[in-house]
Amino acid sequence: MRVGIPHFGNVYIPVKAMAQKLGASDKELIIPPPTSQRTLDLGVKYSPTEACLPYKLTLGNLIEACESGADTLIQARGTGICRLGYYAKNQEQILHDLGYDAHFVTLDVSHHKLLSIMHLMKRVTNNTSWPKIISSFRFGIGKLFALDKIEKVVQRTRAVELKKGTANRIYREAIKAIDEAIEGREVKKLTKQYADKLNQVPKDPTADPVKVSIIGEIYVVLEPFANMDIEIELGKLGVEVERTMSLSRWVKYSLFLNYLGIDEWKEVHKAAMPYLKRDVGGDGWESVGEKVVHAQKGYDGIIHLAPFTCMPEIVAQNIMPSTKEDIPVLTVLYDEQMAKPGMITRLEAFVDLLKFRRKRRGI
Amino acid sequence: MIKVGIPRALSYYQHYPGWKTFFEALGAEIVVSPPTNKDIFTSGNSRAVAETCLPVKIFFGHVISLVDKCDYMFIPAIRSLGGKAYHCSKFLGLPDMTKAIVPECPPILDPEIDLNKRRHNLRKVIYSLGCHFSSDKGKIRKAAEEARKANLAYRRKMANYVITPIEAIDGVSHRQGSSDDVDLSQKLKIALIGHSYVIYDNYINHRLISRLEAMGAGTFTPEMAHQEALDIAMTRLVGKPHWSFETDIIGAGEYYLEAKVDGIISVAVFGCGPDSMMIDVVQHRAREFKTPFLHLSLDEHTSDGGLITRLEAFLDMVKRRERVCV
Repeated sequence: MRVGIPHFGNVYIPVKAMAQKLGASDKELIIPPPTSQRTLDLGVKYSPTEACLPYKLTLGNLIEACESGADTLIQARGTGICRLGYYAKNQEQILHDLGYDAHFVTLDVSHHKLLSIMHLMKRVTNNTSWPKIISSFRFGIGKLFALDKIEKVVQRTRAVELKKGTANRIYREAIKAIDEAIEGREVKKLTKQYADKLNQVPKDPTADPVKVSIIGEIYVVLEPFANMDIEIELGKLGVEVERTMSLSRWVKYSLFLNYLGIDEWKEVHKAAMPYLKRDVGGDGWESVGEKVVHAQKGYDGIIHLAPFTCMPEIVAQNIMPSTKEDIPVLTVLYDEQMAKPGMITRLEAFVDLLKFRRKRRGI
Repeated sequence: MIKVGIPRALSYYQHYPGWKTFFEALGAEIVVSPPTNKDIFTSGNSRAVAETCLPVKIFFGHVISLVDKCDYMFIPAIRSLGGKAYHCSKFLGLPDMTKAIVPECPPILDPEIDLNKRRHNLRKVIYSLGCHFSSDKGKIRKAAEEARKANLAYRRKMANYVITPIEAIDGVSHRQGSSDDVDLSQKLKIALIGHSYVIYDNYINHRLISRLEAMGAGTFTPEMAHQEALDIAMTRLVGKPHWSFETDIIGAGEYYLEAKVDGIISVAVFGCGPDSMMIDVVQHRAREFKTPFLHLSLDEHTSDGGLITRLEAFLDMVKRRERVCV
């Protein structure tokens, strides 16, 4: 069995780690080449025209995985209200029409998440014993947490470093080192080592960066190719980025703590209540709530990301201007027509606005 | 008498007779907005975020047109009508979006309809909706029961008499223009598939049905087939549905393909999330059946001229195929 996966942020690193721990060879897990313009072109060419960007990019990834010889593909599935529930159904048909005889295995991301992942691992590994699966799962998850921990430091450093690009370089090194680590202990050591290294990057002592929170639809928020490296671009403009959403947070709560009755979004949902009373699928409810929460926390601005025609985010976008919190929101919608310079111009204008507001408030 | 405003948009075409029965049984008066016109479109369009789909923008326009004519606005948040199939996010966010976009709107009655939850839950929702009009629980229960029957009768009536929702609501019991079957059999049979709020809103679709009839085609819409038949056709093709609209689109597509219609026109609005996925399934099926298929993606910039040209070309193609086949 040759298993292929679509890309989603750094998710390939923990998946690769799990496969290694389970004793799979290089040929049994096929990580498609990093998402590129070619991936997008392939996705756009074979997708329904009005499908959303995450659909097109993941389809591109899966086609590239098939080209490298994958015969089993993993795709997420949700019983939510957004299009995600239809991805696997449609993409399987498209790949079949293209002549790839790939078999789809779906991962339920809305109900019984932990069970679904465990069963999926058991299925694609030909019934490996549970203890082995659990230990490899723990190892993979460890890498995910390490990466997100380092990323938090990177987000803070980017805005204030003296020599632009240093934090990004260290981050890339860290990703590579963690990807290559083969022991849980090694991952921990690397995390500490790189966090220290980032903290020692020469910083501008007088800098007081503008603070912006990134919210929106999870795929475009977490996949740097989809959002055109928005965090790096903001870093270049000297903006400190915060983002609540991360894969490790999803794993921590959705796979474990939610079963114990701990809801990570409780505070956010409560904040959204006066404006939006119910879950509208995807991340729409969270987007409205996060705007309110971040305004109260004293952030300077909000950047709201969504794929073009994303239904839940359009609901959020319609509601956000009516909340009484006074905080500027920039909505950036992504599709295959979007060009990076356009986005950068909009970011520059937005950051200027935030700086101006700060100055005016200072007087 | 308490006046309840019902916007003539979105779920109106599916559920209006039921709502009407319910509110009138409780002694309320119903105010329905006029059919979509330019003013309604402009007022809704100017307030909503640009990316919002056309039917939702028009919905806001209908709400605005009702603002000073009623005491309550009825905007249900429909999550699911059963079978673990869900409505689009925008239906769920509708009451809250309306509140944000039309702040002058009278108090909104926004029951959350989710038939996946237990019956008890639905009963509670109906009581809390009914208590705005009556404190008598028995009366509310009776009104709800009557409403359910009225809606089922409405759905059956459309299928039995092969009429559109507009005709059914107006009380017409036979097809206008084509009274007998002989007449119909000579015409081209064109199936229209899409959401009821697109197919029957003459402003959105530029009077598509009457245009097709004028061009000599008999039109069939999802509402003109029995619900059960559509469900069966859909289940055969895609299994368990994910969206509530799958019966109307995939089910109707498959049903009419098997009924050997001469052509299928899918009518969708630009930016519709569910349609972008579902139309693809039907298109694929139509290719297998070798049935001509036309996809119309409508938005606020669609013009009559372009639409007519495409319809004419499509019908010409269908007619020529008929001749070649015979």
